[in-house]
Amino acid sequence: MVNVMKGVLVECDPAMKQFLLHLDEKLALGRKFIIQDLDENHLFISTDIVEVLQARVDELMDRISFPLHEKDP
Amino acid sequence: MGPPKKSKKDRGSSDKFAKKRRAEDEAYTQLVDDNDSQDCVSEADGVPGAASKNAETNDENINTDEYGAKDYRAQMQLRPDHANRPLWVAPNGHVFLESFSPVYKHAHDFLIAISEPVCRPEHIHEYKLTAYSLYAAVSVGLQTHDIIEYLKRLSKTTIPEGILEFIRLCTLSYGKVKLVLKHNKYFIESPHPEVLQKLLKDPVIQKCRLIRNEGEGFIQGTMDSKAITQFGTKLPATSDNPAEDAASTSTATTAGAAGAPGTTAEGAATTVAVPEDITDFYEKIDKEEEDEDEANLKTVSFEVAQEKIELIQKRCIEIEHPLLAEYDFRNDTNNPDINIDLKPAAVLRPYQEKSLRKMFGNGRARSGVIVLPCGAGKSLVGVTACCTVRKRALVLCNSGVSVEQWKQQFKMWSTADDSMICRFTSEAKDKPMGCGILVTTYSMITHTQKRSWEAEQTMRWLQEQEWGIMVLDEVHTIPAKMFRRVLTIVQSHCKLGLTATLLREDDKIADLNFLIGPKLYEANWLELQKKGYIARVQCAEVWCPMSPEFYREYLTTKTSKKMLLYVMNPSKFRSCQFLIKYHEKRGDKTIVFSDNVFALKHYAIKMNKPFIYGPTSQNERIQILQNFKFNAKVNTIFVSKVADTSFDLPEANVLIQISSHGGSRRQEAQRLGRILRAKKGAIAEEYNAFFYTLVSQDTMEMSYSRKRQRFLVNQGYSYKVITHLKGMDTETDLMYGTQEEQGQLLQLVLSASDLDCEDEKVPGEPGYRPGGSGTAKRMGGLSSMSGGDDAVYYEHRRKNNGNVHPLFKKFRG
Repeated sequence: MVNVMKGVLVECDPAMKQFLLHLDEKLALGRKFIIQDLDENHLFISTDIVEVLQARVDELMDRISFPLHEKDP
Repeated sequence: MGPPKKSKKDRGSSDKFAKKRRAEDEAYTQLVDDNDSQDCVSEADGVPGAASKNAETNDENINTDEYGAKDYRAQMQLRPDHANRPLWVAPNGHVFLESFSPVYKHAHDFLIAISEPVCRPEHIHEYKLTAYSLYAAVSVGLQTHDIIEYLKRLSKTTIPEGILEFIRLCTLSYGKVKLVLKHNKYFIESPHPEVLQKLLKDPVIQKCRLIRNEGEGFIQGTMDSKAITQFGTKLPATSDNPAEDAASTSTATTAGAAGAPGTTAEGAATTVAVPEDITDFYEKIDKEEEDEDEANLKTVSFEVAQEKIELIQKRCIEIEHPLLAEYDFRNDTNNPDINIDLKPAAVLRPYQEKSLRKMFGNGRARSGVIVLPCGAGKSLVGVTACCTVRKRALVLCNSGVSVEQWKQQFKMWSTADDSMICRFTSEAKDKPMGCGILVTTYSMITHTQKRSWEAEQTMRWLQEQEWGIMVLDEVHTIPAKMFRRVLTIVQSHCKLGLTATLLREDDKIADLNFLIGPKLYEANWLELQKKGYIARVQCAEVWCPMSPEFYREYLTTKTSKKMLLYVMNPSKFRSCQFLIKYHEKRGDKTIVFSDNVFALKHYAIKMNKPFIYGPTSQNERIQILQNFKFNAKVNTIFVSKVADTSFDLPEANVLIQISSHGGSRRQEAQRLGRILRAKKGAIAEEYNAFFYTLVSQDTMEMSYSRKRQRFLVNQGYSYKVITHLKGMDTETDLMYGTQEEQGQLLQLVLSASDLDCEDEKVPGEPGYRPGGSGTAKRMGGLSSMSGGDDAVYYEHRRKNNGNVHPLFKKFRG
C-alpha cells in the first residue's frame, strides 16, 4: 500500500533544527510533525503544522531579542 | 521622569522590591552588623518633596499615532525663524537638540546645566528636564527667569505652559539659601531677605539661630569672593601674591569665556543665520556668571549653632528650601592649610577644568558629583580639587588596589610626598598623625566589628578631624544607607563624588543628588573621543552559532546549566581563540572577561594564558599585571569580574567578553572603561581599541547583550554585529574543531556541578562564600540559596511588552 503525505521541506541552521526536533519530541505542538530528518540542514515536515510552527519560532525570537528603544519603566 | 517615581513606588508598597533592595544594601554592609528597623523610613529622608514632581505625566491625554509619535500641535506654536533655532521642548519635559546647529555649542552647555542627557548619538541629542537637574542648575547659579528666557530663545516653538510651570515649581524655592562655613562659624546666607524672614518664622529654625547680641538683625554682607581659582597651569605666571593671583585668574576666566563666544562669532559669520538674541543672551549669561564672581552681591545672613546643623538642614528640606552647602575655604582659618600644589607638569584638559569651574564657581567649594567616562582622568580632577581647597582631604574608594592607585596619582600630579599621604586599609596602615591626605575604603570606615588597636586609633583621629574636602570615588556603588553611615562618622566641609556611570539598575542614583549634592558636570563621551582624550572604541557583538549538540542540551536542561552551556559553546571558544590570535599578531594587548569561573579557568588553561579571579593572591595578581604591562610575551590575560572597576590597565586595547552579569548596563560601561584610556601615539580618527562581546546565537544571551548595550548606545556608541568572523574557516589550529572534541567538552559541561554554573561572587555580594567551599553556613531565602537574588542587577518586568513599534513588527501568516 502507498501512503501519500503532503509535506514541506524546511531548510535551517543546525541549531534551529535542534529546536524543531525538540518541539517534535516534547509534543509541544500537540503532536509529532516531522516526517523525515533528512540531513544537518534539512527537515521534511507536514504541511498543516507550518503556521503554528512559524508562530512558535517567532515567539522564540521575540524572547531572545530585547527592544532597545523601549521607554524606561 | 522615570527614576524618582520608580523609587517612590519601590519604597512604598511592593515588598518584592524591598527584599531585593535589602539584599543589595547587604552587599555593602554585610560586615556591618546593624539591624536598624527603620530602614525604609531613613531611605526617604533627606530628599525634598519637590524631587518627586514629574513632568512626564503632563502629556497623558495627548493623541499618539500608531508609531508612538505624539501630537503636540495644540500646545506648541512653530516660530517663523525656527530653522535657526536648535531646540524642541516637548510638554513631557524631553528636550531635543540638533547637534548640527550653529548654536549647538551654546545650547549644549546650557542644556547640560539644566537637564539630564538621555541619549546622545551623533545628530540629535535628547535631554530631559527633571526636578534633580533643575536643582543642580540652580545650585550652580542659574536663576529661574534666566532658564526660562534662554529656553524660549533657543526653542523652535513656543514653550508649553506646563513646562514653564514645572521649571518655576522646581527652581523657585531651590538655591535661595546657602549654608556657609566662614571663619568657623556657620551662617545661613541668602541674597533674598524675604526668604530668610520666612525661614525664621519657622519655630525649629528659630531655635537653631545663634544670637550673640540682643536684638541683632540680619548680618548685612557682600559676597566679595575672588574670582575662580586657577586650576592647573594655563598661564605660566603663578605668584604667591594673592592680589596678582586674582588678577591673573580673572583674565584667565575671561579668556576661557571669550573662547566660546569667539567660536559663535565664527559660526555666525559662516552661516549668518544665527538669531541675534541667542548669542546676545549667551553672552549675557556668561557675563552674569562672571558678575557673580566679581561684583559684590548683597547678601544677608544669620548665624546658626554648629551642633544644630543637621537639624536645620533637615528642616529646610521639609519646608522646601534645601540648603546648598558651600565652603568658604579661603576664609577658614581654624583648619590648617596643607602644603600641596599641583605640579607644573599637571595640565588639565578643558573638560576637567570646566567641571572644576562648576565646583569652585564663586571662589567657594560646592558639594556635588562630577561624571566623567572611565579613563578620562577622574583622579586628576580629584587631586586638583584637593590642591585647590588645600585643607585636609579624605579620599574614599572601594578597594585596596584603588587606594594604592590614588596614592600614586597624588604623588604623580601634586607635590604631596609619602609623609603627607596616609593609607588606611586592612593591609597598609600608615601613621595618620600630621598627614594631610588620608586614602581609605568605604568598608574600612563603616566597619563596625572589632578593630585592631592601631586601626582604632586611626579611626578616632579620623573622627576628631574637620576635613576640608571628601572625595568619593566610584560614588555610584555606594548605597544610600552606607553613605549616611560615612556621613555620621566623617565631618567634612565639602564632598566631591566622582563616577563614570551615574546609573544603577535600581534607580537609586537620584537620591545621591541630595545626599552628596547635585551633579555638577557630565561629559559627553563621543566628544571626548573625537578630541582624542579617550580611546576610539569599536564595539562589536560577535554572534557564535550554537553547536547542535549544545543547543539540544540547552533546550532541555534547567536554567543554571543553560548559562554554562552558552558560555562554553565550542564555536564561541573558537571565535575567542581566533580573535586572540588575530590581535596578538597585530601586537595588541587583550583582556578577556568572564563572570563564570568554570569557563574562565577552562578557556585560560586550554589556551595557556594567565588568569586572575577572586582567590588569586595579591602577589600573583601584581605579578601577572606587571607581566602583562611589560612582558612582550604576555599579551593576553583572562580576568573575572574582580577586574570590572578600578583595575588600571592602561596598555590594554582589546577587550573580549565571553560571559557577563546578566543585562547589567553598568558592568558593560565599566568594562568598556578598562580600554578607554587614550592610547599613546594613536590617531584620533581611527579606531584604536576594540570591544568584543561574544554571544551564543538563539539563546538568552542575545537578549542580555542587547540590554547591556543600552547605556553605551545612549552615549552615542554604535555596536557592529558580526555574524561571521572572516578568515576563521581557514584557520586550522583552532581547538574544538572536530565532533569528538566537542563531544568531550559537552560531557565536561554536563558533569559540572551546580556551583560551577554560578557567576563568581566577590566579597560583599550576598552569595559570597569565604574559602570557596560549599560548607559555610548562611541564612537566606530559597531564592538567595539558589543564587536568585543579586547585588546589582535584577530584572523588572515591563508592562507594555506587546507594544512594539509597528515598523519592527514582524509579518506573520
